[in-house]
Amino acid sequence: MSRKLTVILPALLVLVGAMSLKTIATAHGNGQIVIANGPAPVPTPWNNGPAPVPTPWKNGPAPVPTPWK
Amino acid sequence: MLGPADWVIWMLGTLFEAAVVVCALHRKSLRRYFFLNLYMLFSVFVSLGRFQVLLHSGRSSVEYRYFYFYSDALLTIVLYFALISLYLLVFQELHVERYLRMGAVLLLAGTAWFSYAVVSQSSHRMLTHFAFELSQNLYFVGMVLTYVLWGAILKLRETRALLVQLVLSLGVYFSTFAASYAMSNLRPDLFSHITYLFPIVACLLPLSWAYGFWRVAEDARIVPARLAVVPR
Repeated sequence: MSRKLTVILPALLVLVGAMSLKTIATAHGNGQIVIANGPAPVPTPWNNGPAPVPTPWKNGPAPVPTPWK
Repeated sequence: MLGPADWVIWMLGTLFEAAVVVCALHRKSLRRYFFLNLYMLFSVFVSLGRFQVLLHSGRSSVEYRYFYFYSDALLTIVLYFALISLYLLVFQELHVERYLRMGAVLLLAGTAWFSYAVVSQSSHRMLTHFAFELSQNLYFVGMVLTYVLWGAILKLRETRALLVQLVLSLGVYFSTFAASYAMSNLRPDLFSHITYLFPIVACLLPLSWAYGFWRVAEDARIVPARLAVVPR
């Protein structure tokens, strides 16, 4: 049991460390995305473009209400 | 519209990625470094796929975006497993493979859960944003894991030159990514000056790995502990 716990602890520490780093890096950001695998040109990110929502993710033609308001 | 520099960097990168697999095959290291080679092989196929989609649909098309970001998520997951396979090689004499595998799966599941928690609050295109968020988060997890692995290499006095070169190359790759990511967020006005930085580093990683497989013998040794400044 203790061995399993010693596996969970480093995994959690790495996760917390990585997410903290990301938070620090993006704290003053505007959502700019430059992450990419390989040397292919990066397309305009989703949140910066006016691209229409493709069919599979549309739930009918009705306007989507603002959630949680 | 892509400029000549974009095309050259892209083609060179794809060639270097293919060169890694060819060099590993030539040195009969394909099985030993299976996930590293799988990542490079996937990268080649993804590059070809992106090229095809880009030619048909254009850079700002929805098709290219979807293909790009979904394939990026897939590649990042394979890169994560490649990194874990380096952990298994470094720690193989300690016989802790079972625990490493368990930790790797837990960490991947934790990252996926965290990514889901983020996108579920703010996105209506859940699956797309999830793939995208997971990819970004795994990059940061990969960077932290690479530094931890380098610490372990120094601590365990690992001397296999090829292994050291593979890990250090990955460290430079992740570090440059993090630096460019942070810079583009902190100083968006500087982003245009570092546009080519990450694609160039994405070329240098397979080049370094290909050189390692081609030139560094499997039994070659190095003392990485000498590279670190340790106060006595």
